[in-house]
Amino acid sequence: MATVTSTAPTIQPAVRARGIFSWRNRQLMIAFLFIVPALINFTVFRYIPIASSIRASLYEYSLLRGLRDFIGLDHYARMLNDWVFWDSLKVTALFVIYKVPIQIVLSLALAVLLQRETVGAGVVRSAVLTPMVTSVIVASIIWAMMYHSQLGLIQSMLGAVGIPRQAFLSDASRALPAITVMMIWKDLGFSLIILLAGLKAIPHTYYEAALVDGANAWEAFRRVTIPLLMPVLMFVVVTQAVFSFQVFVPVYQMTQGGPLDSTKVLVYYIYQQGFRFQDMGYASALSVVALIILIIVSYGLMRWLRPQT
Amino acid sequence: MKRNSLMMLVVAALLLAAYGDRAPAEASPVGDLNSPAVDVSAAQGEAVTIQFLTIDDEDMLLATEQMIAAFQASDPQYANVSIEVQSVPFEQLFPTIETAVAAGAELDVFLADGPDIKHYAYNEAIIPLAEYYTEEELAEWVPQSVEEGSFNGTFYAPAIMQSCSLMFYNKDLTDAAGLEPPQTVQGWTMDEAWDAWQKTTVDDSGDGVPDTWGLRWGQGTYQGDYEHGIMRRSAGVKGSPSYMGIGEDGITFQGYLDTPEAIASFEDYRDWHQGDRAVTPQEPIDNIFFSKGAAFYVSPDNAVGTIDRLYPDGDFNYGVTGIPYYADGAQVCHTGSWHFGVSPQSQNQEISVAVAKFFAGPEGSKIWYDAVRQLPARIELLNTLPEYNEYPQQLFNEGLQTIGVPRIQTPGYTEYQQYFGELAQDIAQGEGVEVEALVHETAIQMEQALAKYEGWQEE
Amino acid sequence: MAVADQTQHRGAAVLPRAGLESDTAKMIRRGGIAVLRAVLFAVISLIFLIPFIWMIFGSLRRETEIFQYLFPLSLHTFYPIEWTLEHYRDILGLSEAGNRAGLNFGRNLLNSFIVSTGVVVFSLLFNTMGAYFFARLKFPKKNWLLAFVLVTLFVPFEVTMIPLYIVVRYLNLQNSYWAMIVPWFASPFVIFALIQYFRDIPYELDEAALLDGASYLHILRTVIVPLAIPGLVTVSLLEFQFIWNLFYWPLIAVQDKDIQVLQVVISSQTTQEQTFWGRTFAGSALASVPVILIFLALQRYYVRGVAATGIKG
Repeated sequence: MATVTSTAPTIQPAVRARGIFSWRNRQLMIAFLFIVPALINFTVFRYIPIASSIRASLYEYSLLRGLRDFIGLDHYARMLNDWVFWDSLKVTALFVIYKVPIQIVLSLALAVLLQRETVGAGVVRSAVLTPMVTSVIVASIIWAMMYHSQLGLIQSMLGAVGIPRQAFLSDASRALPAITVMMIWKDLGFSLIILLAGLKAIPHTYYEAALVDGANAWEAFRRVTIPLLMPVLMFVVVTQAVFSFQVFVPVYQMTQGGPLDSTKVLVYYIYQQGFRFQDMGYASALSVVALIILIIVSYGLMRWLRPQT
Repeated sequence: MKRNSLMMLVVAALLLAAYGDRAPAEASPVGDLNSPAVDVSAAQGEAVTIQFLTIDDEDMLLATEQMIAAFQASDPQYANVSIEVQSVPFEQLFPTIETAVAAGAELDVFLADGPDIKHYAYNEAIIPLAEYYTEEELAEWVPQSVEEGSFNGTFYAPAIMQSCSLMFYNKDLTDAAGLEPPQTVQGWTMDEAWDAWQKTTVDDSGDGVPDTWGLRWGQGTYQGDYEHGIMRRSAGVKGSPSYMGIGEDGITFQGYLDTPEAIASFEDYRDWHQGDRAVTPQEPIDNIFFSKGAAFYVSPDNAVGTIDRLYPDGDFNYGVTGIPYYADGAQVCHTGSWHFGVSPQSQNQEISVAVAKFFAGPEGSKIWYDAVRQLPARIELLNTLPEYNEYPQQLFNEGLQTIGVPRIQTPGYTEYQQYFGELAQDIAQGEGVEVEALVHETAIQMEQALAKYEGWQEE
Repeated sequence: MAVADQTQHRGAAVLPRAGLESDTAKMIRRGGIAVLRAVLFAVISLIFLIPFIWMIFGSLRRETEIFQYLFPLSLHTFYPIEWTLEHYRDILGLSEAGNRAGLNFGRNLLNSFIVSTGVVVFSLLFNTMGAYFFARLKFPKKNWLLAFVLVTLFVPFEVTMIPLYIVVRYLNLQNSYWAMIVPWFASPFVIFALIQYFRDIPYELDEAALLDGASYLHILRTVIVPLAIPGLVTVSLLEFQFIWNLFYWPLIAVQDKDIQVLQVVISSQTTQEQTFWGRTFAGSALASVPVILIFLALQRYYVRGVAATGIKG
């Protein structure tokens, strides 16, 4: 299982000279050059904005009025008693918990089912990839029509199998699941394609080895596919969790956070505070908290799904 | 293969460089503002560029182009003033203005929504223009426009047009139901109207979903204050707290939003959407009136233009009646529309003011009206346009002047609007929702959100 | 290429099933599975395509028809009564109405193409180098650097957008293609993804090359990149569609209509009082076609070839 080790190759220099210009240091410097362009880009276009948001979170700050009084951690203290914030955090967590596992399991199943080059598989693959290339704004509009409690296409289909009309987006207990389903539909192709590429990279010799050991299809999947796919799988889980945590557009387009705040996710609340309530200071503080939560969650996920050596 | 991909890389990079190099130079002339461009022609005035931010709307954009030309021709000193127009979707206008202000971007004049003027003025995102207008000049607008364009008694932003929502009806559908809506501003009371909506809510197929609905209240799918905030104010008699809609201090909602009659109106609003007497889809349907799926439609007169566009052959038979009102309250339509604001960031404030003043002046308003065709805000124009003196548009003119009241006047209108939209949505959609408790709770939330404006009238 | 070659020539590895079956039973079972699979495939495809089909047909019918036949379900829910190409002519600026509205979707498609391609090209360059650094090179405290990169993925864009705009203005990039390309040069997502794909490549290969005295750059070009082509292509596709679908950033960063991208123009079809549904759908259809074609054209990179079929069943 050499392919899944995460240790770098051991470099055995011919000469182990000391000092700044030693062979080792030169190698390190050359290595560092590989990451420099990306680091510069991140510093300028990501970290300066992040730093400026962190600073704003310590001030009375609004977009129209700019920075005013320094208020220290007041915005953070305010969160403790802001039940809309806690609710939005709960809604966001639910969305991630509903969406990510289902999406991952479905895309993994589809990836295994569709990895082969047959006409049928090709058609399904293309179908699953289609939503990904539609913008989320337009997809939201179309799904809102499909979900419509009286005229929606989904109502027509339910009716065809004898199920009475259901409210989806206007029902406080169903609105979030409805948005979740739509977003799984939208993002499934995304995770599918990453997993397909991951499957493609697994050398066949491993399956053959399992075969020699007398494994059946399920055992081969468990013993070969999953472990070898682990790095890619971990990547998909982490990035999907992060993207789902940041969901905004479908909520903005389909429900505006309602009904009864049942779809008011964190980023929607941040947007409201920053852009509608002239409180970018508080919005920034909320984002810093979102950042911290995501760091913790992602770290946990990466540890948990760390490829076994 | 390696060589091929390298080649592609190089070609793409070259392409990019070719396009990219050119673009910034031609696209950001404002960057050159500070460079010595003054010596062009003293007689023709300074060569300056004014940035004008507006919304995506082809009629408005066409009007703007013509207004710019007229402005340049209006005075030799403006001949060298060029005006760059940036347009964004309506939804994005407010955030874009905020972004431009926050980033210190070039912004001189912008289109501002009437109820937001106080928000902008409070936050110093627009400059006062009182010194550029005489009392007589201000009197040339309908009084609502002056009120909407002012902050604490100081005039800030001239209006380009006005609005008042009345009720359109699909004549084929009302005929089928044997209804004859009065073609007057007075129109029907809420009870009469509801009766008519029920009669036009028809479920021929018997599948439990009406084939046509009685009512579509308001444009778009957002349950905003402009149309949906009318009922609670109509519930009270003129001058009552319900009718005022907000305390004198511009930040109090308890006792205004949650009066017994306002709550009764919210309960009616719920019953329009759900239950036995439902007359409008619980989840809004865009364009439902225009696709002949609803018999009545509460909207300002811009619906006339939409009907003309969708039915160029005129196969859409419609009429207009007054906006329904509570018999023991008052008839109300919300007024207000677009104004022009001048940014304090402007490097050319005098010229920017001249632009705003010209656009909203007699000549600009006429050009605008000819392209946009919505209720003008200038009295003289209103009186001289023949179409506003005959049915159906005459009703909008009359409605504006007799029953039109500005939306609640507060610097916290944007916050209020967010909460109001959520309230209306919750009431329309929440099953078995406790209206009274919800309205009361919302009033408290609104007050909390607006507490930061306390004392704004003293500033 | 040694490893790739080794894995390619092997035939299908069919795993044996328990028990013995007669040939007929086997055939019946196989046939049943084939039918089941066909049904399953059809259902999945339909679920994913229905909204899209509705949109495409919606773009080809009179605007008033679009919402008229939604319910009850009938042929005309999808199938137009009156066919028209008007919305396409409008949005492409070929009709009088489109011209009047200043629409020129062809230009916007080109702009989106330039921007997305630009990002992908630079991204391939810098992120591949970055991922190679993280996946294969030795460096002290590398995990901290990786954290530095990944953290940028976690911040909601809605909040950093305005400071980002200030930075872009400071660099005088606003209102240009560069404004839409430069901030996305490096992507934590792409680096993170490529690290995973690069890890799959046996380490013996770079060790051997290093012993031969090859430079890192040489190894990256001759060992890593050729073996990670599927991953590189996949990630590029994902990044392409990500940039292609961006709306908010171009709206803010670019004012010049001539270089504006397509999603902004699609959104501009919703005005204060109405939505031009026909044009919105036509624009969306036009916007998705090129991306679908690119995905199809490159699918051999993310799908196993026939010769490399994996486990069956």
